[in-house]
Order: sequence, then C-alpha cells, then structure tokens
Amino acid sequence: MSQLSQLKILIADDHFLVRQFVRNTLQEAKVTNIQTAADGNEAIDMVQKAKEVNQPYDIVFLDWNMPTVSGLEVLSYFRNLPEYEETAFVMLTAESEQQNIMKAIKAGATSYIIKPVSPGDLSKKLVEIYQWIQRRRQKSASLR
Amino acid sequence: MQNLKLDEHLSHEIAAAVKAALSTTFGVEVVPGQPEIGRGMVSLVGDVSGVIALVQEGLEGTMTLCMTFETVRDLLPRVVGNAVSVTREMTVDAVGEITNMIFGQIKTQLNKRGYGLKLGIPSVVTGKGHFVSQFHRGPYMIVPFYLDGQLFQVHVALYGNSKDDSPIAKSS
Repeated sequence: MSQLSQLKILIADDHFLVRQFVRNTLQEAKVTNIQTAADGNEAIDMVQKAKEVNQPYDIVFLDWNMPTVSGLEVLSYFRNLPEYEETAFVMLTAESEQQNIMKAIKAGATSYIIKPVSPGDLSKKLVEIYQWIQRRRQKSASLR
Repeated sequence: MQNLKLDEHLSHEIAAAVKAALSTTFGVEVVPGQPEIGRGMVSLVGDVSGVIALVQEGLEGTMTLCMTFETVRDLLPRVVGNAVSVTREMTVDAVGEITNMIFGQIKTQLNKRGYGLKLGIPSVVTGKGHFVSQFHRGPYMIVPFYLDGQLFQVHVALYGNSKDDSPIAKSS
C-alpha cells in the first residue's frame, strides 16, 4: 500500500534489537520517516515536540516495560489529550497477560501486538492501523 | 491450578517458544535436542545468559537462556546488518530481549491452561566461559538447541515448597 510510505512513525523500546527489527519491517513496507526512543520520557518528549512543529507522528509503537516511564503510562498520558486522538498508539510488547491487554485497550491502545511477531504479521497490523488512522481522520473531518 | 512439572509437556513449550522467537526475529531455524532432566547441582557454561525468576503458588524457580558470543554474533547481523560491528552492549541487549520473548511466550501458553505463572524481570550475565550454577539440590531440566551446529541451552530449575508435590514428573 503506497500510502504507508507517507506515515511518520515513532518506535519506543529500550531494546535496540526491537527498534531495529521494527524499523526493518517498516522499511520493507516503504515507510521511511521512522524515529526511535529508548524510554518512555524520551517518547513523550518526541511526540510533544513533533506536534508543536505541526509534524505529528501517525503511529507510536510502545513497549510496555521501559525505563523511567512505561509504555502504558505514555499511552494513558496522550489519550487524555484530545489533540492526539488521530495518533495511533500501539503496544508492542512481550507482556501477554490478558488483564494487561485489557488495561491497555481500556487506556486507548489502537492495537496490541505481542512479541515475538513476524515481519509478515507486523506488516498486516500496519495496514490495519493505517486504516484506523484513515477512519479517525474522516470522523474528525466530518465533525469540523 | 495445574502444578508446573519438569516433563515432556514443558520441554515442548520451551522448544516452541525458542523456535518462534528466533525464527520471527532472526529468520533462523533452530533444532531442539533431547531434554535432560535431573536433580542436584549442575552448571551451564556460556558467554551470555539471560536469567528470569518464575513463581507459581507453592513453587519457585528460575529459567535461564545460555548462549555463546559466537551464536549471538551470528544472529545479530540478521537484524542490524553486516555493516554494523556487534558490541558487548548489543549482545547483552539482544539476549535480554530474546529472554523476555521466549519466557514470556512460555508463560502465556502455560497460563492459558491454568498454570498461573508469574515471571520476574530478566537479568543478563556476561563473561566468556562463565558458569551458571544451580546451587540447590532440587530438580532441573536442560533443553539443548542447535543453530548451524552451535549449541545453546535453556535451563529450568524448580524449588517445590511442598514435600508431597515434587516438580519432577513421575515416569509412567
């Protein structure tokens, strides 16, 4: 899907292996605007700064367990701010307890992906997330 | 709640989790070997090991992934590319994350069947030719894996709190 190449994506994970793995998969899907954060604080800072210069991220991948601020806390923080409602926040984590998945969904996660995930499955998820963004933008446009 | 046992069922879950983590992340196929189940002191020898605590009601234990630097150095370029030289920090980071993925998946699969396992946060130990030693006389299982002829191992040690409920599966 050529529209995927227009996406701006942040990968927040304290493990370089995951950041690089996700970057590789996104690049295979022709996404080029990819940035990374190594902890929750850095992710919050980068998402806010991108918004301030009117170049917001379309998708933010969040690990659950990260130093300083967890992925769930990052998700909850931004989901309480209406100006980020068109941003997809996606949990990408080895945390697989059903109660934690429900916690993330209740906090507003757009999607929940359990590691390990194959490049093929991650690409399929990317398309679903892109479609979510499109629907969210159409909804916002219709309310203006 | 089902009690965790060192049996064929657990070794199958370990093999499935290791194969899934390494094939999805690195695109490699690993071959599991014959599990060894025993009791008492045992040591694994490796260069980089991921260790994680596990707890079930009435049971405590550890799970360890023990690899050589050579194995990790063969795996990493498949994700980071050949142009990047693999550092010690990258090796530690990678084994920490592989440990997370493997033991997280084992927990997920077992908990779907009512085991109620909880895991701690993994630690990674490095040092060429270090020993990972089990200092108690309880039961253990070692599952060997082969990746292009290189050996790495997963070790599970359990400490049952109840005298009547040995974590070693009784042979039928």
